[in-house]
Amino acid sequence: MAETMGHSATATRNTSVAIGFCLLAIAPQIFEFIWSIGTIFGWGAGRGPATVLISHATALVAGAPAALIAAAGGDTKKASSDVLLALIYSYPILAVAIVTLFMTIRSAQDYVGGVILMALALFALWASSDLQGMRGFSFGAGTAPRMFGGLLVALSAGIALTGLLTDGPGMSHYSWRGPMFVMASIVFFALAIRPLGLVVSAFVSFMIAATGSHETRWVEAAIVGACLTVGCALLFPYVLGLPMPMFPRFLNP
Amino acid sequence: MDIFANLAHGFAVALSPINLLMCLIGALVGTLVGVLPGIGTIATVAMLLPITFGLPPVGALIMLAGIYYGAQYGGSTTSILVNIPGEATSVVTAIDGHQMAKQGRAGPALAIAAIGSFFAGCVATVLIAVLGAPLTKLALAFGPAEYFSLMVLGLIFAVVLAKGSVLKAIAMIVFGLLLSMVGSDIETGASRMAFNIPELADGLGFATVAMGVFGFAEIIRNLDAGAEMNRDLVQQKITGLMPTRKDLIDSTPPILRGTVLGSILGILPGGGAVIASFAAYTLEKKLAKNPSRFGRGAIEGVAAPESANNAAAQTSFIPLLTLGIPPNAVMALMVGAMTIHGIVPGPQVMQKQPDLVWGMIASMWIGNLMLIIINLPLVGIWVRLLRVPYRLMFPSIVIFCAIGIYSVNNAPVDVILAGVFGLVGYWLIKHDFEPAPLLLGMVLGPLMEENLRRALLISRGDWSVFLTRPLSAVLLAIAAFLLLLTVLPVLRAKRDEVFTESEN
Repeated sequence: MAETMGHSATATRNTSVAIGFCLLAIAPQIFEFIWSIGTIFGWGAGRGPATVLISHATALVAGAPAALIAAAGGDTKKASSDVLLALIYSYPILAVAIVTLFMTIRSAQDYVGGVILMALALFALWASSDLQGMRGFSFGAGTAPRMFGGLLVALSAGIALTGLLTDGPGMSHYSWRGPMFVMASIVFFALAIRPLGLVVSAFVSFMIAATGSHETRWVEAAIVGACLTVGCALLFPYVLGLPMPMFPRFLNP
Repeated sequence: MDIFANLAHGFAVALSPINLLMCLIGALVGTLVGVLPGIGTIATVAMLLPITFGLPPVGALIMLAGIYYGAQYGGSTTSILVNIPGEATSVVTAIDGHQMAKQGRAGPALAIAAIGSFFAGCVATVLIAVLGAPLTKLALAFGPAEYFSLMVLGLIFAVVLAKGSVLKAIAMIVFGLLLSMVGSDIETGASRMAFNIPELADGLGFATVAMGVFGFAEIIRNLDAGAEMNRDLVQQKITGLMPTRKDLIDSTPPILRGTVLGSILGILPGGGAVIASFAAYTLEKKLAKNPSRFGRGAIEGVAAPESANNAAAQTSFIPLLTLGIPPNAVMALMVGAMTIHGIVPGPQVMQKQPDLVWGMIASMWIGNLMLIIINLPLVGIWVRLLRVPYRLMFPSIVIFCAIGIYSVNNAPVDVILAGVFGLVGYWLIKHDFEPAPLLLGMVLGPLMEENLRRALLISRGDWSVFLTRPLSAVLLAIAAFLLLLTVLPVLRAKRDEVFTESEN
């Protein structure tokens, strides 16, 4: 009884890992889609969301298999970047996700870590796929990235295999509150430093970061934040002579 | 007698009031940040890098060196007083140092740590002066093939001396090499993996990645621990700083042994100070007549690792100053700082900028002397600083880091990138990948690629050039041999034993 329960627990675990890998496999596409929503409001450049969605969907479903068949048939027509992304990045990771379903993961820490690292390596291979390769005996711009990218794919596959073959620690617990608020604070600072100046952005960022801990007491944090802001406002521009805007732009004449 | 003339020149530079002040500020600020628990040497140097930008090159590097020693000394202070090692090098110091503190002997423990560090610093300074010139001559005989092989050897050393899985360490190095290739290609100018983001055209900033992976990631990780992070601060007042006569006699041989061991391990690329302190502690335990005293407040357990890590910290400047190859992550940051000031580290620096090199060497000695003078009376202040709760400390560190990164290039994108690398670093920690080899790979990446390409261009595409040139072949053979040794089961067990020392 206990054995079957244990087995079903790992089975559900495997499914969630596999689903996670599937999401990882189309993460760049999803990212570009979210990014492209901004173009509706006129932020940034690039393709609109509809174009992004259609071109990636066709690349994933139809374009890549067609390119594979064409390549097998000896046709060396250059594939589009979306098709290449599907071929180089998404398909291998999807394959890994499917394989995961049938495996017993003995060390989730190594297995998941290895696969994510492999995804990064494959992504780098795709990113450098448009660069020139060897020209005679001299290296092109793309030779070294592809060389090290390939090496990293092999190494990370090795790490993932270790996770399947040897017992080791499971996944460690990720918390969301700390990373989220610290990240939010950093992003706010980056966006606010130019328009709002050091004083406002440093203080607000301090308060956002402080939200990341559940031990924070607000009055105390506000006082320390204010002192720190004053300190930084004196230290960086005056003592160290690093030029940066101090106050919001709209206050300046 | 060249050495003495050079050293005298160095002292003349280092003793100028402005440089003395830089050294003092560096040592003070370094200790101040280094004392904060959870912020290691690398994070401290990365965080404080921007404050040296406005200074003249010599002053900036002297200050950075001061920050480095200060941070290291600060780390040992925390590990003795609170049992939270601020950084990897003082993990072993915490074992016996904190026990001594609990027995009311915090004063002697801190004093011996300082004295040991100072002695090791003196020896290492002389060693740098002696070895500097001959190694520079050797470096001039190096062609691209030799440089490439030397860097391979350095990276393999980093793998051998890293903690944990060999495979993971190699993967981290290669990941670092890949990251270093983002941006414009040196030869063709083609934009590589930059996705048309203008800020990436120059490549990923080294300080940005270091601050993310070491600074932000550490903060996020410490937040996880949150309330459970118990600080078992030594509450009683620290009285009687001076060690007894017996303490001094007991700790003299360990200091000597630690210094020798540390000096040797520091020159080797890769591990530097961390492995030196572990190795020194293990050696003392092996040599001791009564090993059971270790872990219960043996003064040898403080003296040996402290002198070893300081010796290693200093001798690791040797490969940087002579060959231009940073042997560890902190030295990699120093390269970053030098580049920002327009100095290319390497054999030419010694001849072209004697002020800088010898001034820095002399300032190392002065810095160590300052640490011993400043820190003993200031221990009380450091203890008070340790009482500041983490809930107030971490947002301050986040803001300080963010302003620091922004000020490097005045680029908001850099700040976001550092944040992203903070998340990457958090992920690395969760999967037990070591970030230090990544950083080393990232620094050596451009140098390695350039030399590899050049070597192959000269040999007209013939890969055997790395094996037919004798010096290069020898270096590669050593690298292969080391890698083989690490994989052999017997030695692996030994290596794991050294690293598990901290856990029991």
